Amino acid sequence: MENILILAILISLGYFFGRNAEKRHYRSIEERERNFLEFATTSSKFPLADPDSIDRCALAKGSVVISVDYFKRILAALRNIFGGSVQSYETLLDRGRREAVLRLKESCSEADEIINLRIETSSISKGAQSAIGSVEVLAYGTAVYYKEPK
Amino acid sequence: MKNRKPIRYQPSLPKKNDNITHTRPVREFFLLLAGVIVLFLALFWSLGLFVDMAVNVISPEKEAVLFAKARFDWTRKKSADSAQQRYLQQLTDSIRPCLDVQFPVKIQLVKDKEPNAFAFPGGTIVVHSGLLKSVRSENGLAFVLAHELAHFKNRDHLRGLGRSIVLMALSSMLTGTNSDITRALTPVQLFGQAQYSQNRESEADKTALVTLDCKYGHVGGATEFFSTLLKEKKLPDVTALHYFSSHPAMRKRIQTLDSLGKDLGFIVSETLPLK
Repeated sequence: MENILILAILISLGYFFGRNAEKRHYRSIEERERNFLEFATTSSKFPLADPDSIDRCALAKGSVVISVDYFKRILAALRNIFGGSVQSYETLLDRGRREAVLRLKESCSEADEIINLRIETSSISKGAQSAIGSVEVLAYGTAVYYKEPK
Repeated sequence: MKNRKPIRYQPSLPKKNDNITHTRPVREFFLLLAGVIVLFLALFWSLGLFVDMAVNVISPEKEAVLFAKARFDWTRKKSADSAQQRYLQQLTDSIRPCLDVQFPVKIQLVKDKEPNAFAFPGGTIVVHSGLLKSVRSENGLAFVLAHELAHFKNRDHLRGLGRSIVLMALSSMLTGTNSDITRALTPVQLFGQAQYSQNRESEADKTALVTLDCKYGHVGGATEFFSTLLKEKKLPDVTALHYFSSHPAMRKRIQTLDSLGKDLGFIVSETLPLK
């Protein structure tokens, strides 16, 4: 009885705090994405403009580590039994990818364009049973600076 | 590449996030949880029936051989007064014919303040020395011993053991030995277990009452032990956890025994003192 009570408290705490944190994070992500809308970012190997106009290039990277809340963890564990898409982790990874790209852009906001954008995800806990499930998302690309402002 | 035409970059934000599922996670949570519980109870119930079948196949002789080398908690405890142990053994042997228990049952008295007695696989009844202080008469003691003998006769100790094994195997198989899910489900398992053993306890109480009448010709002293426990508040009468306890609440147990005695036409008479 005590066990189930503690668990219920943990799950509801996880749910409310996790939901709040996620909402706030999404609001921040959407606002910053709007601000960076005109910042050309592609996964292409080539710059959008004439390569001759490039002044210099630099490696740009942004990374983020996000942890799951208790509710999401239990939900994913339940999903483990029946199979199917793990919806509770989808938002986690979506947030992680977008945040990493935003951090990358913020790290080189003076650049004119980012090309060759790559995103990598790795699990921190590496499947350890009792470890806290968290992911690291790394975004990297080439920041391109043109000779004269566009 | 040099003569490549510049590409026009047209940025836009997506109207809808297609990378996440827009359903309510709480609904999913309860749906999955219900699924797990149903699955678990169904498996536990069917394997419980299998345990019952297996128990019927194991004869008391085979059981004694199987558990001859088994070590339980009580083997580490100190044994108490041997004269008292002999008295308990004699009393048990004298009520065995009433229950039609053909196989030998060994009594082991151990030093422990908590008034209790247990039936262990292999034909051993472990009696705590505290029990002797909680009963005033031989009849009261005989009832407790008859209750444990009834467990042997009904093979409840093996059923209990079998179900515990099934339980542990199931939960660790399903989710790993120490996972969150196993912890979450533990009370649910206990509940099923408790309901099951409550029935077995009531059944053993009934058998013990009939045995008492067979041995002494009346059922005086049958509720002596439970009354003492109730008076001394050693066991909770009604608590929040009542639903989960495997022994029916004391007061209810006494009432059931009283009315059962009346229904069967048993009389209540003077009890014999403890030797």
